[in-house]
Amino acid sequence: MSSMKYTPKQHITEIHSRLSKTFREGRTLPLEYRRKQLLQVARLVQENVDAVMASLKADLGRHPFEATLPELGPMVSSALHAVQNLDEWNSPEKPQVEAWRSGWDTTIFKAPKGTVVNISPWNFPWVLTILPLIGAIAAGCTCLIKPSEHAQASAALMAKLIPQYLDPDAYAVCLGAVEETTHVLSLKWDHIFYTGSVSVGRIVAEAAAKQLTPVTLELGGQSPVFVDGDSTNIEIAAKRILWGKQQNAGQVCVAPNHVFVQEQHQSALVEGGPLDSSSEMARVVNARHYERNKSLLFRTKGKVVLGGQAGQDLRIEPAIVTGVTLDDPLMEEEIFGPILPIIPVANVDAAISHIQSGQKTNVWITFHVSMHVDQLCSKVVQRTQSGQLIINETFGQVAVYEMPFGGQGQSGYGSYLGKYSFDTFTHQRGYINVPADARTEGFMQGRYPPYSAPALEFFSQALKTKIPDA
Amino acid sequence: MATLVSTIPKVRDALQATFRSGLTRPITWRQHQLYQLARMAQNERELICDALKKDLGKPKTEVLMAEVGSVIERAVKSAEHLPEWAKTEYPKVADWQKSWKPTLYKAPRGTVLIISPWNYPMILTFQPLIGAIAAGCTAVLKPSELVPTFSQLLEEIVPKYLDPNMCRVVNGAVPETSKLLELQWDHIFYTGNGRVARIIATAAAKHLTPLTLELGGKSPVIIDSAYDIDLAAKRILWGKCNNAGQICVAPDYVLVQRDKQDELVKALQKHYNAFFPEGALDSPSFGSIVSDLHHKRLTSLLSRTKGKVVLQGRADAARRRLEPTIVMDVADGDSLLEEELFGPILPIVPVDSFKQAIDFVNARPHPLVLYAFSDNESVKQQLVSETQSGGIVFNDTFQQLAVNELPFAGVGESGYGNQVMKHTYDTFTQLRSSIDMPKEAEPYLAIRYPPHSEEAVKALTAAVYTRIPPSRL
Repeated sequence: MSSMKYTPKQHITEIHSRLSKTFREGRTLPLEYRRKQLLQVARLVQENVDAVMASLKADLGRHPFEATLPELGPMVSSALHAVQNLDEWNSPEKPQVEAWRSGWDTTIFKAPKGTVVNISPWNFPWVLTILPLIGAIAAGCTCLIKPSEHAQASAALMAKLIPQYLDPDAYAVCLGAVEETTHVLSLKWDHIFYTGSVSVGRIVAEAAAKQLTPVTLELGGQSPVFVDGDSTNIEIAAKRILWGKQQNAGQVCVAPNHVFVQEQHQSALVEGGPLDSSSEMARVVNARHYERNKSLLFRTKGKVVLGGQAGQDLRIEPAIVTGVTLDDPLMEEEIFGPILPIIPVANVDAAISHIQSGQKTNVWITFHVSMHVDQLCSKVVQRTQSGQLIINETFGQVAVYEMPFGGQGQSGYGSYLGKYSFDTFTHQRGYINVPADARTEGFMQGRYPPYSAPALEFFSQALKTKIPDA
Repeated sequence: MATLVSTIPKVRDALQATFRSGLTRPITWRQHQLYQLARMAQNERELICDALKKDLGKPKTEVLMAEVGSVIERAVKSAEHLPEWAKTEYPKVADWQKSWKPTLYKAPRGTVLIISPWNYPMILTFQPLIGAIAAGCTAVLKPSELVPTFSQLLEEIVPKYLDPNMCRVVNGAVPETSKLLELQWDHIFYTGNGRVARIIATAAAKHLTPLTLELGGKSPVIIDSAYDIDLAAKRILWGKCNNAGQICVAPDYVLVQRDKQDELVKALQKHYNAFFPEGALDSPSFGSIVSDLHHKRLTSLLSRTKGKVVLQGRADAARRRLEPTIVMDVADGDSLLEEELFGPILPIVPVDSFKQAIDFVNARPHPLVLYAFSDNESVKQQLVSETQSGGIVFNDTFQQLAVNELPFAGVGESGYGNQVMKHTYDTFTQLRSSIDMPKEAEPYLAIRYPPHSEEAVKALTAAVYTRIPPSRL
């Protein structure tokens, strides 16, 4: 793999100044401008399908299917979805107000935050770069993209194509690793959007704290799955879980990390999963993570019942490990690899208390629950916390634009997809316009000093609000 | 009076245990707590007014009007709206996803920390708490040590009305606040200044805690020469005099056309005399400066100004009194333009064009609110498009706080996140997305499973080739 040329720090500073200037000049404000840029994003993908697929193959060994379903398709649809909704999202809101202030033209304007940066990861390098960018463009911000140095082919292709399709004074790409990212974080942004690990998430939040910059953190965690063997179709559950796990060789933030199932159903679950040896699964991203996954398989005290063969070219067969306990090496941190630990428990309450007590697993993006009984569902809804709650499925929820995608606790804060991306980069600016007429002024006379008893009486109305007996 | 530092982690743990137990989940439970909060404000209002009179010299009218009344009103209204706000949502989706039952649960964030300032301690402590209770969270309140009588009062009355398993008051200064910030919270709501905000944000970063920062800045006032200068002067002076100018949305400084400056000054003087016929020094309708430190800070700023003092406010350091002071011909670089004034000093900066006024504002950090007095639609449009600020208010000052439907928020240096009514509820709520994939979907999902066939790739590639409408750059 050829090494990527990093953007010099001085140049990064220049880019930041240029993007800030463009924003201040108001170029990105007209909706027509934003609409054209969003259509260009869709064209960038549509006209370069083969090149994008090749970059994903080079970086992650991705099959065209796994490049299209989660990345190419969503990038085109999100851009077009934003175009269709641009007017509606941007129109100022006129909330309904009480009669006495109905003359104040109360309005909430959707104001772009300004100049923003999107720092994206290596695992889904295209979609996780482009989807936040779409939100930033729709909101009227200018945006710097900093793609991951661990997905070099994708990053290099982005650096080539983005200036060809989008206005280079408003949207730019910079390449680099730790030093360049640190430099990016030292500059003043109006929002930082970060997708990646918890440890770097802290660094990003700390850097943002110095400038009081609002942040979105899309992090990771250990997404637990509970399979209620008593009430679900185990075969379908196994199939869907395994499908979620082998996407991108398990290197997805929403991959089912580990599975809780009642003790008596453990073997049925294992047998249910079809593993096809001819499947073209993606590979692990680099040698360091490859060794990490191999080491986990070696150190686990559970039983590797299926797969786990480490092959050439950084590929590892999806492995199923049974009889895993909470203190196993596999449970130390997010696996982010093709290993599926199965933890036998007595019942759902045991699973819930394990999840509640584990600091790392307590709050995470998806809690997949394979069950049908409503009572069980509401128990899970009420007593657990997670970014998302997915029932009878893995991974499919990211296709639903109308739901916010975001974490909770250690899995981050903020959210995006569809209108939520737009909202992330928008400041809701309140507005009123108080009339100068004599009637309004007369009405407000009592507020001016010297404060009189009648005035006090008038403004004390709220104090006498009747409080319901409840 | 300060909470023992060693007990602070135990307080947090107890509130977390309460949250996990599910006590705060039922809507009726939350409504009852909100009504209790309203009762507390209503029943204890005399004690609250006395405490604020002692700590800040705040006139009773100001406390009842701006602080106690709104807490009661918003607590009761929030309780009424709560079932609507807390309703699980079912977003409308494309046909092929309908069977997945896409759902948005309103999940409470968990155990939160609310740190409030000294200037409007009642509303700025309880308005965030209203949202936290409504959302189903448990909370620690950390009121300001600069209003000791008030903060001590909270320790006594809060547990009488609100369930102490859900809400606790922690008092103290730097050591106690530092201890609070070492702990993990599910949200921190801070109202105060930019310097301390950075400390809080840095502490929050270690735990990846989301934040709301309600900060301040210098809120400018731009006066369009065509506007009724007399009325503008009255409304500006009123905004400045509330709480002796110690409010985040006080009109900080005024930008006016040079040839209208004298007229503005005359009008301000006229209205000052009407507000305070005997001057503000001993007027019960005018508040005191919160501390000796701040009093000194303000008099020092005044002593260094190169502008012309046209209304000389009398100062009484012993009683921390400072009368409104108006200074004209203030230029860029003056002491009065260095930092947020947060006091009863009104600098007037003459400009020679409207563009100069806009440039002046844009050269500075984004303010919490931009005030402008104008009836000209194109002037208003220009200000909306060409400036950035938390809020933008035309033809009045301060009054926007009465609007329940507007999110109250800063941007840039004036902060992020927002509050008031549903916005506060949303601040403490996490939208938890959910789908429930039916078994029956399996035939449709079949193409996604490996091994991946040519047909599968073709079927999915179709989405990539959706027709893009024509356009030209």
